Amino acid sequence: MSVVTQSSSSVSRGGGSGNLYDVLELILDRGLVIDAFVRVSLVGIEILKVDARIVVASVDTYLRFAEACNRLDLEAGRKAPSQLTDLVGEATESGAKGKSKGVLAGAAEAISETIHGGDREGDEEKSSSGRSGSSSSRRTASRRKED
Amino acid sequence: MPTYVYGIAGKEHPLRVEGLKGVGEPARELRVLTSGQLGVVVSDAPEGLRAKRRDVMAHQGVLEHLLSEGPVLPMRFGLVAPDDEQTIASVREREQQYTDRLAELDGCREYNVKVSRDEDDLLRQVLAEVPEARRLNELARERPGDRRLKMELGELAAQQAQARQQKDAARIMDALTPAAVRTREAPATGGTFLNVSFLVDRKQAAAFAEAVHGEAERCGDAYAFRTSGPLPPYSFV
Repeated sequence: MSVVTQSSSSVSRGGGSGNLYDVLELILDRGLVIDAFVRVSLVGIEILKVDARIVVASVDTYLRFAEACNRLDLEAGRKAPSQLTDLVGEATESGAKGKSKGVLAGAAEAISETIHGGDREGDEEKSSSGRSGSSSSRRTASRRKED
Repeated sequence: MPTYVYGIAGKEHPLRVEGLKGVGEPARELRVLTSGQLGVVVSDAPEGLRAKRRDVMAHQGVLEHLLSEGPVLPMRFGLVAPDDEQTIASVREREQQYTDRLAELDGCREYNVKVSRDEDDLLRQVLAEVPEARRLNELARERPGDRRLKMELGELAAQQAQARQQKDAARIMDALTPAAVRTREAPATGGTFLNVSFLVDRKQAAAFAEAVHGEAERCGDAYAFRTSGPLPPYSFV
């Protein structure tokens, strides 16, 4: 598991494009509209949306899935716990509970951080940012995926 | 001079906009127009404005700031009125509707949650649970040139993968929805299988975050949860 709770503050500060990307659809596609007003051109942005609509049920997807299945080493799944061991070591020290709290506090308090935020691009799935309100926590218990 | 519109707030909002940077290069100064009981935050609209990164972020930044001081209806990016007078007149026409919506959204913010799962992990589960997929997979390995076999395997794997993702998505929704006032799902894109916005009351923010964390914990290592928020309630206006 990786959890990233990020305030949108980084968006307003020019932080990672990962952040902006995650909220872009909301800013461009939601929000209140008044019919009598015009909207600026979103040429270029709409291309993103079309790309995103790539259909799952396509020949390309099937071939890709088949190749992925062929490549899969079914035994490889069992390696996961050993990979986890490293993480457990690191996480036990800081304490899983403490980390979860970081995430909670982050969401609850992020309003006040609007000024200080700032994530780096590409961080979102890997590591926690330096910001107090944002935290990324790795799974610490060796719970199995079958759970 | 065309008017760029950021958001609408009630009369109880302090609407302090001095020093805030609007869209455009250089950043346009913000103004507040009064339309009946409502305040409309606007700036001059720069010529040739497009959805450039800095402008989108300026729009978002202005709303973030306003939201920190009271409820605001966030406009969609890029809304341009012919001039101030018409802005005021258009907002006035729907004054009651906007006032009601502001009251509904008071104290609430949007959280967007995107969930993805490692594809190998998903396919591994499919192969472990579906004997026919395993059989086809072994055959396809023996006959790497057999395209029809590959298609058959791929189609089955894709269907089975999608069914599992839908189940996962439903379970995650069940866990997160109780802490939210409203929800709005969007098509999952870019490797995610769930993309949903939650309207959450500030008093429930901690409970919501806890629910997200609990789900992420339950789902395990192969899943990634990306939560953005608190955001202006773009999806709920």
